Order: sequence, then structure tokens, then C-alpha cells
Amino acid sequence: MSRVHQLKIGVSGIRGVVGEFLTPALAAAFAQAFATYVGPGRVVLGRDTRTTGEMLEHAVACGLLAAGCEVIKVGILPTPTIQVCVADTGARGGLAITASHNPPEYNALKLFNSEGLFFNHYERSELLDLYHQSQFRHASNAEIQGIRYDMDSPPRRHIERILKHVNVDRIRAQKFKVALDGVNGAGSRMSEMFLRSILGCELFAISIDPTQPFPREAEPRPEVLGDLAALVRENACAIGFAQDPDGDRLAVCDETGHVLDNDDVLALAVDGILGRTPGPVVVNLTTSSVVEDVAAAHRCATYRSAVGEANVVDRMRALGAVIGGEGSNGGIIFPPVQYCRDSYMGMALLLDRLAETGLRISQLAARLPRYWRAAGKKPFEHGRLGSTMQALQRSFPNAQPDRTDGLKLLFPDAWIHVRASNTEPLLRYAVEAKSEARLNELLQRVFEAL
Amino acid sequence: MARSSPLRISTVGVRGIVGTALQASHALDFGAAFGTFLGEPGTVVTGRDPRASGIMLNEGVCASLLACGHNVIDLGVVSSPVIQHSIRRLGAAGGVSISASHNPAEWNAIKFFGANGTYLSSSEASELLDIYHLRKFTFRDWRGIGHLRSDPNAIDLYLDELARVFDLRSLSRFRVLVDATNGTSARLLEGMNKRFEMNFILINARTERRAFVHEPATNQAMVSLQLAPLVRHVKADAGFLFDIDSDRIAIATETGQAVSEEMVLPLLADYQLAQGPGKLVIANLSTTALLDEIASWHGGTVVRAPVGRQAAIDALATFRPEEVAVAGEGTGAVMMPQFRFVYDGIASMLAILTILRRRGIPLSKLIESYPRYRILKGEVPLASRRIPQMFLDLERRFEGGTRNTQDGLRIDWPGRWFHVRVSQTEPIVRVICEQKDEPPSALFEELMEIVRSYSL
Repeated sequence: MSRVHQLKIGVSGIRGVVGEFLTPALAAAFAQAFATYVGPGRVVLGRDTRTTGEMLEHAVACGLLAAGCEVIKVGILPTPTIQVCVADTGARGGLAITASHNPPEYNALKLFNSEGLFFNHYERSELLDLYHQSQFRHASNAEIQGIRYDMDSPPRRHIERILKHVNVDRIRAQKFKVALDGVNGAGSRMSEMFLRSILGCELFAISIDPTQPFPREAEPRPEVLGDLAALVRENACAIGFAQDPDGDRLAVCDETGHVLDNDDVLALAVDGILGRTPGPVVVNLTTSSVVEDVAAAHRCATYRSAVGEANVVDRMRALGAVIGGEGSNGGIIFPPVQYCRDSYMGMALLLDRLAETGLRISQLAARLPRYWRAAGKKPFEHGRLGSTMQALQRSFPNAQPDRTDGLKLLFPDAWIHVRASNTEPLLRYAVEAKSEARLNELLQRVFEAL
Repeated sequence: MARSSPLRISTVGVRGIVGTALQASHALDFGAAFGTFLGEPGTVVTGRDPRASGIMLNEGVCASLLACGHNVIDLGVVSSPVIQHSIRRLGAAGGVSISASHNPAEWNAIKFFGANGTYLSSSEASELLDIYHLRKFTFRDWRGIGHLRSDPNAIDLYLDELARVFDLRSLSRFRVLVDATNGTSARLLEGMNKRFEMNFILINARTERRAFVHEPATNQAMVSLQLAPLVRHVKADAGFLFDIDSDRIAIATETGQAVSEEMVLPLLADYQLAQGPGKLVIANLSTTALLDEIASWHGGTVVRAPVGRQAAIDALATFRPEEVAVAGEGTGAVMMPQFRFVYDGIASMLAILTILRRRGIPLSKLIESYPRYRILKGEVPLASRRIPQMFLDLERRFEGGTRNTQDGLRIDWPGRWFHVRVSQTEPIVRVICEQKDEPPSALFEELMEIVRSYSL
């Protein structure tokens, strides 16, 4: 059995169980390394609703101030909103204190550069070197800046950007009945305001109290969204939305109470965007081929990147993609708002699509090509990863291999993707096929190989 | 030669030049050590002086206290006495003051208070240091982490207590010039002007983050330079100079004379002993012999402890509070029982104004009414290794007198004494001698020459 990873300091930043493992001193030191890296200037600091967030916010502020940065505290806000704020205000960088979809005992720091983008691989490894060498900038009393508070402008900035890309009047005219499960997360209050006041929806919301703990598992998987589905059915809603604690991931429930597959949600968003702005699409290797099919119907190319938001964003920027995302992770990335997964743009886009087509969300989903998918994870022993991958590849001699991120085996009617998780000692596998029988066959063979 | 120490970790807390010596990690580790030291989660009060670095250090201290499960009440920029008062009022488990007090602006310090706002005893403080050095901190899990809030009423409630102890209405007739040195006293005194119609005229009242208008030292030299010339100009009855965290004062008379900082404790000792004859005055070995003379008028006794806050606090703890009239140092920092023995510059100033009102004479006449002692102070760079030999030599060279070797060497003869000791804060030997009426110049020169001969 593998160890439980209670603290991980690596290229994806710092993440761990708060208290014994992720201590305030560690958070402050990491923040000081970050501030040393981005240089003296303004740094935007926000967080999600975890009970440990307030404490870590003080620790991070201490580290940022110690290196001579001015701290702009924006309070409890969704990660994409913080990213837009960084980009919009000319800050040196930003930090979000959130462990995203991880359980409540965890917390982590998400790091953004001056464009409000996740640090890319090179930036992250440079920062990590600074941290390990303890080469921090130590500001003197003459150089230390202060803390400013800006709780109001970031949601406004974010929403303004979104509204440029949807037809608000068209959405408002529909007076959609919308259900929302905010998981008592960072977006709770903003989502309520956005859907009710800005988009004119009749809102039925649960778990939108940021002072309360997460009422369900933080990751919005279909299995934990029963309350949302019930809310949709009881109130005859047109659509239901579920967020994760930091508001980057979005799950969607159709009007019948069926939670859509995240890949299909991304495909619907891609369809909507390409319909008016054709261009390249970038998704990660584990995203369903349904996105490729939808893009092909618009005569647009789909490109694949390694798993991870920063990887998708890097590829999108290089290719000038018009939309992208990580299907399985429920993230829609729409560059004109911000190069980040953004549940708000996702909600607005889908409502706009409903208003535009006059169709129900289940009808839109039914028009997508049908794939059968399965995904899972399995702990692996240290040192066994390479041989497992090789064995898998040998057992499918006719498949076309792709080694971009782990191993992806492509067949004319299916694919298999196996990779090691970036954050946990787990092997993640995903299989997709055009028929259920083919899926089960491949899945069986993958199990045998693993 | 001993190295100069830009960072100093002692039982009084941690102090240093921010950036080069005192860093974020100290705030986090000391916050965690204090949070662990306090044990079961409770409430902790924090406050700071206006130095820019205080915000950074406070964020670190608060983060660690919260991680240990304590709820933090952050008072923001306030004086140390307000922090201590709030600890008591809120029934908090302890408090933290982030202030380098009388040090220049580039310095800062983190100091700790126990329940009731008291200073930590030596044994408590050394336990705290042990926890700090071991770095074995007790952090709570995600369910037990504390929360932080502010307390906007802290200053008003502190002023209420001053108003209960002193008859402020009767003191409002005095026109008092105050140099706040850009520190925390200005806001408090402005509050008193507004609420109690006091007549404090404030200069250097703006709190400054980067640099203070003058060195924040509360001594006679600073008073003559900055404050004394203005007192006559504004026709004030008295002038007071405050340090940054408002726990000590220095005085100027209505005639524009700078009064020795050594006089604050004798004035207050006289005032307190008059109300409680026969009680004790706790002072240190470097404070003036005038104290002994004043104590003898009231049948009181002077208890002398080694120099330094910690020694005074420990000495104070060995007596029942009702036995003690006053405790303090020759630096202008004085604790009175009415304030549960907290160094409080504003309370000291109000007590002195109360003396003026009762005696009905101007401040200059009050000062002149005391016998005159002349004090000379010097310092010589330290050669640590030769110190024991130097003290042996001094003991041999001076005969007779009453000897005290608790902290270096003090010898008292009738009307005359000297004290040679090693500074706790700087790599120097301090030489102090005092004589009634005339300056002890010959003795001072002789001492300096001996000490210098051991310097290199």
C-alpha cells in the first residue's frame, strides 16, 4: 500500500493536511519564495471557505510582506475571479488558498503569474528552486509595504468580462428556473448574485453559506449530486449547476435530474463557441473524443495536451485556441474571459445556448455523439510504474501509442489512457469506446495488465 | 571583541533589525511557541506599534496562534498598556505586543504577556524559549483552528479605566505639551482631549511607519533637544515625551528645563508612598539613591534588582502586591499597583499631574524641592573574556562601602555610589556613578579608566 500524502511540495505547489503537516511556517516560507520570484509589487491574495483558510491567509500575507510585496486581500472568492483580478489590476501575481476539490482537512496554494495564469512548468520549477535554496528577499522596515482590502471589485471585474461574450438580454428574457449547489464554497454568494441578479434567473439554491462546512464531497461527481437533482425535479428547473469549493469546476444537471457527463458539458460549450467563432480547440489527453467530433463538425481541429490546467493553457496560448478544457475535470477554459477553468463562464454559456436554441439541455446533450466511458484509479508500487506501462503497451500491439503524458493507446473506435497522478501515488486510467461491449472488453484487458 | 547583535532572543522576547536579523520565520515560530505554551485553546490579544514591519510580523504571529487553535483579537496599532488592559478585560489567556519601543524605526520586537496582562516570569519565559528552540508546536487540525477578529472599543475601555483611577476633571486645567514621537500615545491622548476635555497639546502626533521624526529615546538629552524649548513657547504647565509604545516617559518643566529621566520613578515613588507609607519601592541597581532618601521619609524600603525588565518583573513577583508602592527603572518606565503593575506612560504622566494639583506648585518648583543628585553615565566596548578579571580588579581597588554583586558591581558609600555592569542589549560595559549635590567627576574618570584598560 502506498503512503497517504499528507504533505506534498512539488512543481504543483504546496498541498497538505493542515496542522501537523502543512504548517503556517511552511505556507509563509513558500509565499516568501513566491514573492521573491515575482518581485516587489502588488500580489492578490484570496481563498476558499475552508476552516483553515483564514489562518493560512495570515501566514501567506506574512511571507509576501516579508519579501516586500503589497498584499491585496480579496477575501473569499472563486479561483477564476482571483485570476481575473490579478490580470485586470496589473498585479505582480496572485495566490489562491484552496485545495480545490480535495477533502476539508487539506489545503493548498495555487500560484498565478502577472497575467493571472497558473505558473507553467518552468516557472514552477524556478520557484521551487528558490524555495529549496531559501533565497528569500527580506525587506527592511523602509521597504515593507502594507495590506489593502478589495472585496468588491473582483466579482465585478470577472462578471463584466463574462457578459461581453453572452447575450444577457436573451438570457434574462427567459427567466430560467435554475438550481444551484454551491457546496458552501468560495463562489456561494457570487453565484447567487450572478444567477439571480445578473442573469435574471429564478434561483433555487442549496449550500450557498460560505460560513458552513462542505455538505457533500467537494468534487462535484454525479454520485454526490443527488440533492441537486432532487432540487431540479421538485422545482421543474431548466438546468442545475454544481460547483467545487473554489468555483473552477462545474457540473451540470439536466431538467430531468440527470447529471451530465463532464465531457459532454465541455462538448456543449465547444459547440456553442465554435458556432460563432471557429478556431482550434485544446483538451487534455483524457478528454472524450466527443469534443473532437463536435469540433470536426465545425471543421475545427482539436489538439491534445498533457493533463493539468497549466498544460492545457500553455497549449491553448501557443495554438491560439478559441476554447479548451479538461473534460473529465469539469473545466471550461474560454480565453477572452481568462485562461482558466471557469464555472461562471460555463454557466453563462450554457444558459445562453438554451436561450439561443430554444432547446432543453437534455435535447442538446442528446444530439452529441455517444461514447461509453470508464475511469478509475489504482495505487501503484514505487518502481513498478515503467514496467506496468510497458506491459500495457505490449498487450495492445496494434494500437497507436502516445507517450505525451503516461501512455495513451489509440484505436480506430476507442482509446485507453493510463498515467500517474500529479498529486497522489495513484495510477489513473480512462477508457472510451464507441460501444459498450468494446468498452468492457478493453477495460477487462486493462485490469489484467495492471 | 564581542559582536554586536542585530538579533536578540531572550526571556523578554525577540528583538532585531527587520529583514537582516528579525524575519518572518521568527514571527511564525514565536507565535507557534507562544500558542503551544498557552496550552488549551483560548483567546489571545495582539497589537503593534506603527512600524511598517509590524504588519508583517503580526500576520505571522496571528497565523501561528490560529493554527494552535487560539482565537485572536487583533487590536491593530495600539500602545502596549492598551494590549495589557484588553487581555485582562477580555479574560484572555495572553497577549502579544509587536513593538521595538524606544529602538529606531528599522528595529522591531515581539513581546509576550500572560493572563491578566502580566509579563511572563523568568521560568515561564524560559519554558517559552525551550518550546521555541525545540520547535515542537501543538497545531490543531482543520476542525480546531481559531478565528481572528478586531475590537474597536479597546481604546475607549482603556481610557475609561484611566478615568476611574484619576480625577481627570481636576487635571484638565493643566495645559500639557506632549511629544508623541510618531508613536501610539497620540491617538489615546486625542481621545482623552475629546472625551474628558483634557488639555493635551500634541506634537509629532502623526503615527509614522517608516521613520520617526527623532530617535524615540525617552531621556534628558532628547527632551532638551526636542521638547523643552517648546514648553515655554506654548505656555504649558509641563511637557512629556513618550516612546513609541507609550510605556515610558521623560519630562520637561514649565520653564523649559529637561528633567533627568531618573526623576520619573522618584516622583511616583513619593506620590505612591505618601498614600501607602512603609511600602516597598522596587528599582534596579542603576537607579538613583534619591529613591532611598524618599523611601526613608515615608518609612519605605527600596529593593534593588539587577538591571532589565525580566529582573524587575521577577523581583516584583516575590512580594504580595499590597506590599509594593511602585516599581520601575531609571529609564522612565514605571509600574503602579492601580494598573496591576503594567509599565504605562500615560498613567505615569497622569500621576505626576496629580502631584502638581495636590501640591499646588509649578513642576519646576516640585523638581527643585527634591535633594539634588548628580549622575554620570558612560560606556566602554566589551571584551567578554576579560570581564571577570575586571570586576575582581574593581572590587580590590575600592574599599569600604556596601557591595552588591547581583549584576556586575555596585558599591554604595554615604551620598555616593557607582555601578559597573555588562549591558544585556549591547556589547558594552556601562559605568554609572552618582553623588549628592556635586557631580562625581573624579570617581567617574577613575572608573572609566579602569574599565577601558580591560576593553581591548
